[in-house]
Amino acid sequence: MWKLAQAYSASLEEKVKEIAFSMQDFLFFSLRAFRALGASKRYWRDVLDQAYICGTESLPILMVSALSIGSLIVIEVGHQLAEFGAKTMTGRSVALSVVREISPLVAGIMLAARVGARNSSELGAMQISEQIDALRAFGTDPIAKLVVPRLVASFLMFVPLIALCDIVGLISGAYLAEWDLHLDRGIYWNSVVDILRPMDWLVGFSKPPVFAIGISLISCYTGFSTTGGTAGVGKSTIKGIVYSSAFVLVMNFYLSKVILDFMRG
Amino acid sequence: MIELRNVSLRYGAREILKNVSLTIEDKKVKAILGPSGVGKSTIIKLMLGLIKPTSGQVLVDDVDITHFSEVELFPIRQKMGIVFQGNALFDSMTITENMSFFLRENLNLPEEEIEARVKEQMKFAGLEGFENNLPDSLSGGMRKRVAIGRALIFHPTMILFDEPTAGLDPVSSKKILDLIKRLQSEIGLGAVIVTHILQDVFAVADSVAVLYQGKIIFNDAPQKLYDSTHSFITSFLSNPED
Ligand SMILES: Nc1ncnc2c1ncn2[C@@H]1O[C@H](COP(=O)(O)OP(=O)(O)OP(=O)(O)O)[C@@H](O)[C@H]1O
Ligand SMILES: [Mg+2]
Repeated sequence: MWKLAQAYSASLEEKVKEIAFSMQDFLFFSLRAFRALGASKRYWRDVLDQAYICGTESLPILMVSALSIGSLIVIEVGHQLAEFGAKTMTGRSVALSVVREISPLVAGIMLAARVGARNSSELGAMQISEQIDALRAFGTDPIAKLVVPRLVASFLMFVPLIALCDIVGLISGAYLAEWDLHLDRGIYWNSVVDILRPMDWLVGFSKPPVFAIGISLISCYTGFSTTGGTAGVGKSTIKGIVYSSAFVLVMNFYLSKVILDFMRG
Repeated sequence: MIELRNVSLRYGAREILKNVSLTIEDKKVKAILGPSGVGKSTIIKLMLGLIKPTSGQVLVDDVDITHFSEVELFPIRQKMGIVFQGNALFDSMTITENMSFFLRENLNLPEEEIEARVKEQMKFAGLEGFENNLPDSLSGGMRKRVAIGRALIFHPTMILFDEPTAGLDPVSSKKILDLIKRLQSEIGLGAVIVTHILQDVFAVADSVAVLYQGKIIFNDAPQKLYDSTHSFITSFLSNPED
């Protein structure tokens, strides 16, 4: 029994060491990426390619998510409000939750899956086929060539993508409110416009740039640290998605909390 | 000249190389023979500074590069071309793009010079007519020759081969080995060939080091292998498919 406990604590210690080491390694990786940011000028073609891929690949799934977000909030909240005879307030609650929370959150998770999986599987495959070593061997910094364009492209694309989600979410809410609650669309839009303050947009739009940085760095890092052949690529792809999504969930909460607390004094 | 001095390397608790010392002369073909997983690719990557030894030193032309940064390593690496085990070609680029990529990246050459150099390599490797093919559409032997062309395009003084004939049919293997010989006799290019195939060693090497369980157990001319009494070498000679 004692032996078992000892063995367990030893393996736990190993695990903790390993995690601490990866965290440190990730930190250095991120620093190198930031230091290499100037390379985005040199690799502007790669930035454009990545931005195009990010936009076209993510758009369909983001639009589907946005449609269901708006509709869902109307079904859930709108009906509750209607019970109290306050269905004219539906636009307010849709607007606040879409712009500040749900749209960035759901879009963030979708992007973590879509963009994160792509980065870690693609870079992982390049790692195990020694293409990343080849870049280094012939004098090209793989972080500048592969990571910086992905980071910059996400940074540029996430804000417009999530803005689009906000708009589609609000519009889908309007139609569903009309259809399901028989709420006039004019009234809906009036209450939307009424309630939204600059602060709400600030909360909403503070998130995509942070998500872009986190998702890109995490998924590129898991790709770069792939070992163990084809199975290794599978593992690092999963890691890329899981850690990126976790990052989105946690940061979504903290950004809302910090900015709202700050603005409310 | 490349020199490893008392180099050790461990991954976690596993010691891959134990106190390895090895010198690679210019203009000579040196083979490093060893069984699968012994650390052959690791040795090649150490020579380029792609990985750092746990202890010991790596010297290139008498300069200690052990603690060099990536930027400091670049001029060193330019002296050495490398051909990776799986070629490591960029699969989204055509053959000519693969060959010219690093020239465009690193040297400020005029476009004509780049084109001339690519042409020269395409011809040397017998790849004319495949300029715009993607690597995936070529045979294994041709891909290998593209990788060799990509390594030669900087006009290095030494070329490092990681298992140049592994996975190739006998005819393609022979072509690659002939190419290595030709490079040595025609332009005096030194080479390191890491391999687990005995025939490769006899076909091209001036000298051979045998790596076994992290140590160099033999380092001499290939014919001397037959004089060795080491049990691994004798069994390897009698049963080279191991
Ligand atoms: N990044 C790494 N982390 C942990 N172990 C590693 C790593 N890279 C290589 N190894 C281990 O080090 C040993 C030597 O690897 P290396 O690739 O140099 O062998 P090799 O002789 O080239 O083998 P092969 O014949 O398969 O090409 C292997 O057992 C491998 O599992
Ligand atoms: Mg190998």
